[in-house]
Amino acid sequence: MRGWLVGCFVFSCMLCGCSRESPPSPSEAARAATLRPADERLAALYDHSCRACHANAQANAPLSGDRAAWLSRLKKGMPELVRNVLTGFNGMPPGGQCFTCTPADFEALIAFMSKDMP
Amino acid sequence: MTVTRRTAIGIGVGAAATALVGTELGREWWFDREPASPPPQNGQGKLVWRNWSGSASGYPSVRAAPNSEDALVDLLRKTPAPIRPVGAGHSFTSLVPTDGTLLSLDQMSGILNHDASGNRATVWAGTRLGDLGPALAAIGQEMLSLPDINKQSLGGALGTATHGTGEQYQALHGSVRSFRLATAGGDILECSAQQNPDVFFAARVGLGAFGVITQVTLQNTAVQRVRKRTFVQSTEKTAAEWNSLCAAHRKVEFFALPFTGLSAVVTTDPTDADVIPRGADLDTESLMSLKRLRDLCGWIPPLRRRLARSALTGEPEELAVDDSWKLLSNERPVRFNEMEFHLPREAQMAAMLEVLAAIEADHREVFFPLELRSIAKDEAWLSPFHERESGSIAVHAYYKDDYTRLFAQIEPILRRHGGRPHWGKLHSLKARELEALYPRWRDAMNVRQSLDPQGRFLNPYLRELFIHA
Repeated sequence: MRGWLVGCFVFSCMLCGCSRESPPSPSEAARAATLRPADERLAALYDHSCRACHANAQANAPLSGDRAAWLSRLKKGMPELVRNVLTGFNGMPPGGQCFTCTPADFEALIAFMSKDMP
Repeated sequence: MTVTRRTAIGIGVGAAATALVGTELGREWWFDREPASPPPQNGQGKLVWRNWSGSASGYPSVRAAPNSEDALVDLLRKTPAPIRPVGAGHSFTSLVPTDGTLLSLDQMSGILNHDASGNRATVWAGTRLGDLGPALAAIGQEMLSLPDINKQSLGGALGTATHGTGEQYQALHGSVRSFRLATAGGDILECSAQQNPDVFFAARVGLGAFGVITQVTLQNTAVQRVRKRTFVQSTEKTAAEWNSLCAAHRKVEFFALPFTGLSAVVTTDPTDADVIPRGADLDTESLMSLKRLRDLCGWIPPLRRRLARSALTGEPEELAVDDSWKLLSNERPVRFNEMEFHLPREAQMAAMLEVLAAIEADHREVFFPLELRSIAKDEAWLSPFHERESGSIAVHAYYKDDYTRLFAQIEPILRRHGGRPHWGKLHSLKARELEALYPRWRDAMNVRQSLDPQGRFLNPYLRELFIHA
């Protein structure tokens, strides 16, 4: 009986877990922590908002510079991504916690974070 | 066509498997559908502002982020009201929504100066707690207490009486020795127990309604290494031991897991041991496993309980050793809505057991744990811990779940036990009920009225909180 119960749990986890991404490697996480936009104004916005989650593997967000993790998001198109940022989507909090960012800022920040960086 | 017994059994098994998978996927779809969002722009082309959980939103006509006190004061004199300061948007209540000015202090961030011998530091109020930890550590200091999440701005955390845990530890505003307040009239007031003391006691927990706190001098402590233990035991045992746990550990909290009979207890104590860094985020893994369990068998509570207990019972304790500021706060990447009340400490466990029973009787959708903490009393007039040793009970709902029925049923329990609501978390109390809970309410309202007679910092929600209908 106990085995069946555990089996149910595993079954559930398998179904729900099939779309989950693999966690970032330690080197990807370390690299994300060092990245910063070249433009100083954009870098300040990034530091105050995006960095808390997108340079932190424990936050479960796609890391800056991890192109593979961003590809599925980018497929939605930039307008949809910006809309998701503004209103919030899954773990992404509304406005990305940047309440003075404009849609153009969000586009630039997404472009920066989703770039494939060495 | 003849259907053999074996074929019939095969078809039956296949249909059952398909139905099971289909049902499971259907339940997954139902539970994971994204809640409706407000439009990204309103009819005037103004962008939406929405809080972290999505429970509050508005369309401010002006978004401002001054980079100095002079720029802030200039702004306050002429910008359209209501003027609402925003930190990280982590309040669940409608403290921030405005069609006037949304004011961010993101450009007023960092440490201004510090006193190494007295472990004090003066900090811009726009500093996010997650940035303040390493900045203070660089000068050998850390805050005396930290909340569960470190995303908030310092000003937002103080203004809503954000707290950590520890029988001897006050909420964050208890560490404030002085602050500077920019008023609606464009003045800067120095406030401390000696200078403008009424404003100091009234506006220290001020919901951003007395003015804008720009700088804060914090009484900190030297960086301390601590051992953090997390272990699972029965909720019944935890409730029985709560007072002795609070007395035995510098800081302790627990998470009561509905539908399991179990709790995760977290203790933090000083140590000289070698560093054991905190590992992967097991809290989030565990939380999402509890969600899967809810999704799969939430409608069969005995099965849910047995599965959870078989997965959680006997788990080895988690251990981390590091500087306190690195271990006290957490990422919490899964969004949720929250109600939290602060009760007389002696009422906390009875209320918790009543809340658990209500959830398990009527709210099978709940999979988030309750969070139980203890907080020392303080003197701020609008502090929920004003002159009262307190025990908090927090109830959470996944951000995709409707929380209204749950919170409407739990709030009367918490109020009946003498609870005062957390200012940033969902509750239904208005001015009349709040006045009865706060002995210095009228004094605080008089200070607010004198500082902002036109109510430029009041949005409709704050008018309901502060002004009798």
